[in-house]
Amino acid sequence: MRALSWCGGLALAASVLAFPFLVNAYWLSVGVLAMFYAIVTASWALLAGYAGQFSFGHMAFVSLGAYTSGLLVKWFDIPVPLGMAAGVVVCAVVGSGVGFVGLRMRGPYLALFTVAFSEVLRIIFVSEVEITGGSGGLEVTPLFHTRSDMPSYYLGVVLLAASLAVMLALVASRWGLFFRAIRENEDAAAAGGVKVMRFRVLAFAIASAFAGLGGGYFGHYIGILTPDIGSVDQMGLVVAMAVIGGAESIIAATIGALGLEFLVEALRSYGQWRLVLFGALLLLTMRFARNGLLALAWEQVRRVDRMRTSRRAREVGE
Amino acid sequence: MTDYLLIQALNGLTIGIIYAVIAAGLTVIFSILRIVNFAHGEIYMMGGYFSYFAIALFGIPPLLAVIAAMLTSFALSILAERTLLTPLYSPTTERKGDYGILVTFGISIFLRNLALIIYGPYPLRPPSFFAGALIAGPLIMTWDRVFAGGAGIVMLAALIWFMQRTPWGEALNAVSQSRESAAIVGIDDQRFYMLAFGLGGALAGGAGALVGPIYSLSPSMGLIPDTQAFAIVILGGMGSVAGSILAGLLIGISESMFIALFPDPSRSLTYAQAFSLVILMIVLLVRPTGLFGRVHTAME
Repeated sequence: MRALSWCGGLALAASVLAFPFLVNAYWLSVGVLAMFYAIVTASWALLAGYAGQFSFGHMAFVSLGAYTSGLLVKWFDIPVPLGMAAGVVVCAVVGSGVGFVGLRMRGPYLALFTVAFSEVLRIIFVSEVEITGGSGGLEVTPLFHTRSDMPSYYLGVVLLAASLAVMLALVASRWGLFFRAIRENEDAAAAGGVKVMRFRVLAFAIASAFAGLGGGYFGHYIGILTPDIGSVDQMGLVVAMAVIGGAESIIAATIGALGLEFLVEALRSYGQWRLVLFGALLLLTMRFARNGLLALAWEQVRRVDRMRTSRRAREVGE
Repeated sequence: MTDYLLIQALNGLTIGIIYAVIAAGLTVIFSILRIVNFAHGEIYMMGGYFSYFAIALFGIPPLLAVIAAMLTSFALSILAERTLLTPLYSPTTERKGDYGILVTFGISIFLRNLALIIYGPYPLRPPSFFAGALIAGPLIMTWDRVFAGGAGIVMLAALIWFMQRTPWGEALNAVSQSRESAAIVGIDDQRFYMLAFGLGGALAGGAGALVGPIYSLSPSMGLIPDTQAFAIVILGGMGSVAGSILAGLLIGISESMFIALFPDPSRSLTYAQAFSLVILMIVLLVRPTGLFGRVHTAME
């Protein structure tokens, strides 16, 4: 079994690295967007799946990171990486602020609060036309002045790999254990000596920082930012990606995001039906395979494997 | 200026009644099923369209169309509840709160985007209930608004009568107080979860049908009233129908005052949308149990 998962991981990594050489320019740009959604979805899975804080304001942090970086680069002419770093810092600070005021709220109250936060931020970005360009969009300095998307793609791969490494190290550490303890039962965690307040705020700040990183990357790649990136429908897409992959595992959520983004583009000719389809898929997954389709598939593989082992054991026994 | 403010206050009053109807539906659902229904605004939107198509396709008179919209919203809600929400009642479901949030959020995404395909993105305006306007001295108010306000009051009164004076209403109340005790005295709770979700949906759909001729219909029309309804439900105290009615009026009037008094008219309409959201955030921060909250309906 272990060998199988190693082989799967290696095959995935190899196909991700070789991807730009196998496809045309259009699918390469899809690949770039897939990297963006993967970073955002993985960090949402960290916040909602691991730490149990259902935030529907995650895309608001994406847009906050994107606008912060875009505007700073535009106003002060600083290098793009510096702008993106500033976006990450702003998101971490605002995220810990939202996490802090959200401390007294649980479950649905926090979800409501973050929806409201997200919509207020979007309305501000739409209304303050002099600063953000409103719905018309804000022109953002591109990351690379090349015609090919190849550098952007590999940057995305590096950012995703680094984000995943940090998040996976985090959930494997004691902090990850605290996050899960708080998710399962806050009072019991507190009684067990977990500093619930500190770790709830921390989870929010970290996840928001990654959302800001994703936002900065997206903004400087796409070149024109509109407030729509922070809309509830975009949030729905990210939630669908995480849940369909498996929101309680960062890797599963990432694979869900990559898979669904390609599915989105493959279904492009069906236009509007896509979000309906993902809504339906999200509902079906929640209803029948709550741990995500990947966990379901993995379970099947393991069952087949177990059957084969036991049959072999029986044959040996005979 | 005072006339203008008075007209705005009256408009706010009628809209406040509509908000109260939406919020009362949300409260019924919340107090029985113990979930925050993120799809409530989308049922409201569907109700508006149901009424429109009842008029446009079948030639039903506008008044009956409101009732038809309520019935279809009732049926749609029950369909959603039976197919998707039953795991909420099963003892083997872990973290039911999370399940409720994600599933109702998924329903809202699904319905909104389905509506976008079926009805198209362009706003539709159903015909008026009554043409013309009520003119009393300096005050002008369209008959549609007067009718919407009146019909909203009838719906709220019917709800209160139903909840307090009928056996089914009493059973709903019993389930909201304690599922176990209700089961002990022989109340089949499954039936009443269904009824509560359907009833909440019917109220939302009815509100959508009433609003149609005043604002127009669009697939995303449910987003803002949804958060307004949340603000109202929480301000009024989770689970308190009377509290939601008072809070609905309060928010309706203060919102139209905000629009009337906002210094920069070019932004007043977009920021008016943010108004209720900010109220919601403040209420959640300062007084999450609301003004008239009942202890036993606190969220787990």
